[in-house]
Amino acid sequence: MTLPLHHPDDRHLFGYASGQERAGKSLLVATHLAYCPDCRRRVASFEALCGNWFEELPCPDHDGLDGLLDRMDGLLAGSPMPAEVARPRQAAATGERLVPEPLRGWLPEAIDTPTDDGRWQEISKGVWLSGWERTLSGTTIRLLRMASDAPVPAHRHTADELLLVLRGAFSDEYGSYSVGDVAHYVAATDHHARGASEEDCICLFLLDGDLIFLDEDGNSL
Amino acid sequence: MLSGGCMPFSREPPLPRPLEQDRSSADPDADPFEALVHAVAQDRDRNAFAALFRHFAPKILNYCLKLGADRGMAEELVQDVMLAVWLKAGSFDPAQATVGTWVFTIARNRRIDRLRKEMRPAPDPDDPAMTPASLATPEEAAQLVQSSRQLQDAIGSLAANQSEVLRRSYFLEQTHEEIAEDTELPLGTVKTRLRLALGHLKRSMRDKA
Repeated sequence: MTLPLHHPDDRHLFGYASGQERAGKSLLVATHLAYCPDCRRRVASFEALCGNWFEELPCPDHDGLDGLLDRMDGLLAGSPMPAEVARPRQAAATGERLVPEPLRGWLPEAIDTPTDDGRWQEISKGVWLSGWERTLSGTTIRLLRMASDAPVPAHRHTADELLLVLRGAFSDEYGSYSVGDVAHYVAATDHHARGASEEDCICLFLLDGDLIFLDEDGNSL
Repeated sequence: MLSGGCMPFSREPPLPRPLEQDRSSADPDADPFEALVHAVAQDRDRNAFAALFRHFAPKILNYCLKLGADRGMAEELVQDVMLAVWLKAGSFDPAQATVGTWVFTIARNRRIDRLRKEMRPAPDPDDPAMTPASLATPEEAAQLVQSSRQLQDAIGSLAANQSEVLRRSYFLEQTHEEIAEDTELPLGTVKTRLRLALGHLKRSMRDKA
């Protein structure tokens, strides 16, 4: 078992813990958390810090709260405690190739559909973007797929780009990334990702701004 | 459906409770609200619930007002959050968080849902695809404990003025400009403090490959 080696920045983990992070990036952070016990603990620590700040909020006299408590009486009576439902936990081994929640339930289709039936958009030989695209709180979300050793063509992005590996592995000049790892590229950085596993590498791909692919001379395509 | 009342990762082994390391876990008085939550869960104790309400309702109200709710919405959220406390008291796990932190996470989730009208994606602890901490190698497990301790130390040793900009930026969701105006600090100082605070926390992260 190898745990992830590349994690989201604290800005994202802290924002996720405090509730400041918006839904799009939270989807990637939360899915990384499913892979990463280390970041789960980190988020729990940040939640505890927020919990302390919550406890320290000043509480001037708020008129009407007693009335609210009285009004809740009926609600409480009508809301019996739900019975504990023990859900069977399958062996982790069966889940090894399963995309974890919350992403699994959110994805519109399986991540490894064939690349030859028009569902994937080939942007260069051996590199595809998913045909589907969703926007969540201003962040564009797709899948990026790289065949073994296929390089992602040069591109420019005007804002942050985030990748989370869901299948296989890729590498760039900063390191190599396998399942559960997060790569974060700030705007205008140069990076050259390339598939690095025998099977296709499939990543969740988040982009805040526009993505512009460049030709050999660096001009927009 | 009430969201977010359950402890997110309750199947994991307990870690040193964040920010509470000096408290002996054998001390039953450590968190006076634990007993109240327990009484709500076990006995459906209305008096215990009322005591929790009197302590937390003003905090939830204030939290929602600070994050942009009007009075009516803030009161609705107080009711939502406290109803979740009533319904989910049985899932509260004192090994994972204090009652205050638990109530904060419920309030956070409910106001994202109601105020921002957004979902808050979260891992499912029952998901077979989730990597449990128990699958870590002994080396990784030792690292997990160590990095958790180091982060606790880093949080505990944050300079007060750095902690304050973190609080405003992440907890109150103020922009850098709003923080500068409220604290009467130059914008550059706000940004510097925020950068220093995150740098201080980052030094506690385990080495990256």
